[in-house]
Amino acid sequence: MNAVVTANGLTKRYKNAIALDQVHFEIQPGRIVGLIGPNGAGKTTALKAILGLTDFQGQLNVLGLDPRSQRNKLMEEVCFIADVAVLPRWIRVREAVDFVANVHPRFSRDKCQAFLSRTKLAPDMRVRQMSKGMIVQLHLALVMAIDAKLLVLDEPTLGLDILYRKQFYQSLLEEYFDDNKTIIVTTHQVEEIEHILTDLMFIRDGKIVLNTDMEALGERFAEVLVNADMAANARQLNPLDERQVFGKSIFLFDGVDHSRLQTLGEVRRPSVSDLFVATMKGTYA
Amino acid sequence: MSITWNDSVPIYRQLRERVVAMILDGALNEGDPLPSVRQVAADFQINPLTVSKAYQELVDDQLVEKRRGLGMFVTDGAREALLKSERERFLREEWPALYARLQRLGLDLKTLLREAPQDTESHS
Repeated sequence: MNAVVTANGLTKRYKNAIALDQVHFEIQPGRIVGLIGPNGAGKTTALKAILGLTDFQGQLNVLGLDPRSQRNKLMEEVCFIADVAVLPRWIRVREAVDFVANVHPRFSRDKCQAFLSRTKLAPDMRVRQMSKGMIVQLHLALVMAIDAKLLVLDEPTLGLDILYRKQFYQSLLEEYFDDNKTIIVTTHQVEEIEHILTDLMFIRDGKIVLNTDMEALGERFAEVLVNADMAANARQLNPLDERQVFGKSIFLFDGVDHSRLQTLGEVRRPSVSDLFVATMKGTYA
Repeated sequence: MSITWNDSVPIYRQLRERVVAMILDGALNEGDPLPSVRQVAADFQINPLTVSKAYQELVDDQLVEKRRGLGMFVTDGAREALLKSERERFLREEWPALYARLQRLGLDLKTLLREAPQDTESHS
């Protein structure tokens, strides 16, 4: 299968800083990829490059196109929801629907209306009158009605309450995602999406520091709950991280045989957030 | 729907166990359809591949069958087969530890039966 996104030596320099430093990665179709990193790590720059919204050095291929020179063609196949609301405040729901219907060849008005009918959004309502959650609902209705191959989500649920956040991902899985579509999502709310993801990428200081599919993650990394008397043995196996809970130590290991770890204590799959904290240690120091 | 997953077992295994429990409890009967992969993924907020993997294991164990264009259905004889394998598993994996514990506590059969909840006793 052809990769949806291929980056080779992708680099982006700003005046005083390097946002992406010789990045390589591939994203296959039918995947849901989480791009996770601390603030300023380069997530948004990477997404902007994929969408053709910023210039860069190196090679980047998105759906067989070059985002720099073939952006118009690319926009027929790609959708984007940003953390910064881009809908004008004066626009009404029906005007927004009319607009997208006129500019986008792959937009389905019926799909959009069906989605809107399940919300409290009325056709004459203006963006200015909506709560943040309602604006995201409108945005999602417009985007999900477009039959795009790649959906890019940059902090889509930022500032939303739990109800809207759950509904957002539920709608995506129920009504949008299938094997032919690919989703790239960045978020700080890792717990919320960790079971949805097929792949995980950690980005730090402009570099991809972890790139794995979720299944391999469970085989590669392990968290072990170790009693005090075994802690010294555990330390000899070069844990990535150690923390104390209720008089026991929790060690995080990378690439140590699970059967060996079982002799130390109870072995668990680490959560993405624990893995993230361990990987990013010292980022702000 | 909110659900907490256990970190020591892969989610697809936990999902499989849920379906198994539903078949044993009669919440899913033979010939009943399973909810679609998409529905389960959306309800539990998990990846569709995880759901497919759980369903595939049930197919491999012949508890569930795929009917082209219609989805997944509980097979005839699934409950019987499950009862058999679950009983065997209980006797092999759980009973030795339980037996050891009963011995340790000095609980005999007469006491256990006397203390058994009334409504479940009638099943045996």
